[in-house]
Amino acid sequence: MRRFFARFANVFRGAQAERDLHREIQSHIALLQEDFEVRGLSPKEAHLAARRAYGGVEQAKELHREERSYLWIEHRFKDLRYGGRSLLRNPGFTLVAVITLALGIGANTAIFSVVNAVLLRPLGYRDADRLVTLLHDGTDPVAVANYIDWRDQSRSFEAMGAADYWSANLTGGDVPEHVLGLKVTQNLLPMLGVRPLLGRLFAPGEDRIGSDHEAILSYRLWQRRFNGDAGILGKSITLSGQAFTVVGVMPAGFKFAPFWATHAELWVPNAFGDRIYNRGANSLRVFARLKRGVTIEQAQAEIATITGRLEKKYPGTNRGIIVTPLKENVVGKVRTPLLMLLAAVGFVLLIACANVAHMLLARTSDRQKEIAVRTALGAGRSRLIGQFLTENLLLSCAGALAGLMLALWGTKVLTALAPAYIPRVETVGVDARVVFFLLGVTLLTSIAFGLAPALHATAGNLSGALKEGGRGDSGSLRRNRLRGFLVGSEFALAFMLLIGAGLMIRSFSALQSVDPGFNPHNVLSMVVSVEGTKEAEPHRREILYRELLDKIRKLPGVKSAGGINHLPLAGDMWGFSFYIEGRPKPRPGDSPTAVYRVVMPGYFETMRLPVLRGRAISSSDDARAPGVVIINQRAARAYWPGEDPVGKRITFDTGKSDSPAWLTIIGVAKDAKQLDWAAEPYPEVYLAALQNRDFLGDGASHTAYITVVARTANNPANLAPVLKDTVWSFDRNLPISDVLTMDRVVADATAQPRFETLLLGIFAILALALAAVGIYGVMSYSVSRRTREIGIRISLGASRAKVLRMVVRQGMLQALTGIAAGLAGALLLSQLMAKMLYGVRPTDPATFTAVAAILGLAATVAACIPAHKATRIEPMAALRSE
Amino acid sequence: MPSEDPGRMGVLQGTLDLIVLRTLQSMGAQHAYAIATRLQQISGDLLHLNQGTLYPALVRLEQQGRIKGTWGKTESNRDAKFYAITRSGERALAEETLRWRRMSGLVDRLLSEGA
Repeated sequence: MRRFFARFANVFRGAQAERDLHREIQSHIALLQEDFEVRGLSPKEAHLAARRAYGGVEQAKELHREERSYLWIEHRFKDLRYGGRSLLRNPGFTLVAVITLALGIGANTAIFSVVNAVLLRPLGYRDADRLVTLLHDGTDPVAVANYIDWRDQSRSFEAMGAADYWSANLTGGDVPEHVLGLKVTQNLLPMLGVRPLLGRLFAPGEDRIGSDHEAILSYRLWQRRFNGDAGILGKSITLSGQAFTVVGVMPAGFKFAPFWATHAELWVPNAFGDRIYNRGANSLRVFARLKRGVTIEQAQAEIATITGRLEKKYPGTNRGIIVTPLKENVVGKVRTPLLMLLAAVGFVLLIACANVAHMLLARTSDRQKEIAVRTALGAGRSRLIGQFLTENLLLSCAGALAGLMLALWGTKVLTALAPAYIPRVETVGVDARVVFFLLGVTLLTSIAFGLAPALHATAGNLSGALKEGGRGDSGSLRRNRLRGFLVGSEFALAFMLLIGAGLMIRSFSALQSVDPGFNPHNVLSMVVSVEGTKEAEPHRREILYRELLDKIRKLPGVKSAGGINHLPLAGDMWGFSFYIEGRPKPRPGDSPTAVYRVVMPGYFETMRLPVLRGRAISSSDDARAPGVVIINQRAARAYWPGEDPVGKRITFDTGKSDSPAWLTIIGVAKDAKQLDWAAEPYPEVYLAALQNRDFLGDGASHTAYITVVARTANNPANLAPVLKDTVWSFDRNLPISDVLTMDRVVADATAQPRFETLLLGIFAILALALAAVGIYGVMSYSVSRRTREIGIRISLGASRAKVLRMVVRQGMLQALTGIAAGLAGALLLSQLMAKMLYGVRPTDPATFTAVAAILGLAATVAACIPAHKATRIEPMAALRSE
Repeated sequence: MPSEDPGRMGVLQGTLDLIVLRTLQSMGAQHAYAIATRLQQISGDLLHLNQGTLYPALVRLEQQGRIKGTWGKTESNRDAKFYAITRSGERALAEETLRWRRMSGLVDRLLSEGA
């Protein structure tokens, strides 16, 4: 124990102990010498004899040091100092290595911090891994009566709750605001296990009609609209003209639902009323908490049994109900792209490591003499390897530090580039896990690039290195093989990355060239809500819509204007089933279905969405005129194959078969994009808003708004203020939201692939540059080593062309081997991308050819420059120089 | 930990400590050179070692508190570090000697009776 402290203390008292030791050894040798002199030797002879008798002074010192303290600690300090000095002596080498590592480590840390926030961190609820959703096909809403049956009949769940999408006009402040929210069953929020910041959650019984006028606010809404008023509880707020009492405020950062309706800012009770008997209107999202120990599979099996039973009783309902982990709903779509990006930056880091390994190999060859001298002075191999690894660690720490800066900046750019399309991206940041990742990567990196060079450097033979005077080609064959392997791997990795990026670019350009069906340029859109205002009255609503559009059409710079309930690509998408006149009545669940849109006159003209047959909906198609509808090409092909649908009649009133409201098809419009840019359009119908009772008179929030579209002569964004003022000239209380140019809507629809393509492209270019630098470095190093050999060859008559060929061939061989390996890897890996690609196969020959050509070219150029240098070697100068 | 690696000192380590302690006990305080000389005298050519290899044993014993080094002057008026055995060193020597005797006796018996 005592010795432990003594040794430990000596770690920090090295200098004094060292002086003491030196003094003691000097005195020892002096005494020896004295003795030898006494025996009759001359002082000079005696001195030599004394040194011989004593043995190696430095070795003795080293043994003493090891005994006296925990030398390995002392060594590491010394190595750090030595390493730091040695790195500073070579600022060029150090700078290039640090930048290379910083790029690799920084990119990895940035992407990992996104992966961490989005995929790894648990959702912000208690035991969030037990939360699941029960949805049709895993994504679509269900009907109230079915939900109630599942809730009452299942045993796999601790609790089951449900929510409806809801929005309301919040009035009472300076500007009316359209707020998104959810109508939730009483038990839903308690099920999540998050305590409110203020007040309480809903109490049992509060989701019954009559007692359902209470509201819980999000932290953001509370801050924004009520300035964080601590006395908000119990106060009344006006939502779409109705009074609600605030009973609670949720903490900052609370978000529900985490997918779909992610911008919900308030929650009110969901009073089902008569809907408890409804099995047809699918609007409800069902959430549940699994009982402890119950697996998803067990829950799914139970739900399958229950829904199977219900389907027999109520045909056409309860089909395809899938239990999905809540988190899967949130991150399922982005997992593959994010992991792909993580793999891509991993490749970049590996390439960076290979490059630094090259540089170290070249450097250690030059340090052969230093190594030999240090070995002669008593440094063991493990000690030398330790020294090298410390130096490498120092290098990668510097790289990590620079990389961290890069990552901090990079995550900022990343989150700014991709806010809306990656869930939870607002939570991206550096936390403990990111720091551990960074440390781990740094450590692994330093081993990855440093171990092989260190082993190689110290494996050389001592006296050979000394004799060759530092020119040391000892072990060069093995080292060349290692270099070849490194270059080959770099090219293989770069090839795979470039294939990934190439496929994404091809896919993205295919997406870009997709025809949306309409012309998005020079169109401005905005949502005007009438809910809760005096304009919501049936008669007033019609007048408002007509007069508003007329007034907009007369604005300077406006060419045409129209309106629609749900703007393509930006708005919601409803599906309805209908019935075709003269056809046999379909079985429940087998009716023709179509996307349901309601348009104001002028919509088709404004969007430049061509009506291919028949005519567009005009202002004369109002409540007094016969009902009309326009269908898209897809609907025409699907339901009237080989027939002309114009003039045929359909009805949505499938329930009242005695006197349905028939709608005559007056035109077939070109297929337009609907919700998902990459998806094939579904059959679609456009109804006339002026004939639509729901959209003109219904008090329900989901029909009490319209999206105005206006085509302008020039930049549509400039028109936004005028358009808003025009709306407010009718009623100052009309909330306006989602003011967007159609170009922006289209850009947003392809934002995720654009983001992924951009990032992957950047990483691939980085990889290409690093690989080219790698082969260039190796080639020019090898040429500088072979100066003498090449000089001899030239003096013996080798033509310069032959020398060029020889050098280039050596480099190309390594690169081509790498490319071949990369080709095999890419064929395997690109299959994993299949789902992310649009209009291009994972084995797209054009991409593979192009990438092989690019890499081949890069390798040729990188090999040619040093090779060209080799041909200019002057034989006589080369021979003399060594 | 490389410093704990006994390989460098070989089997001699324990024995060397014992010999050093014994030398200091019988001869009083001595400097390293005198100890080395004494070692060579006793062992003849059997124990051939560089005098520098003595140092690890000295620093180890000093850290264990079994010997204590102080700087002084030799007869020829040279600076030298003189090592003296401490009380704990005496105790350790007694114990180690006993153990060594037992051990060597045991090995002796084994060697003569075995086979």
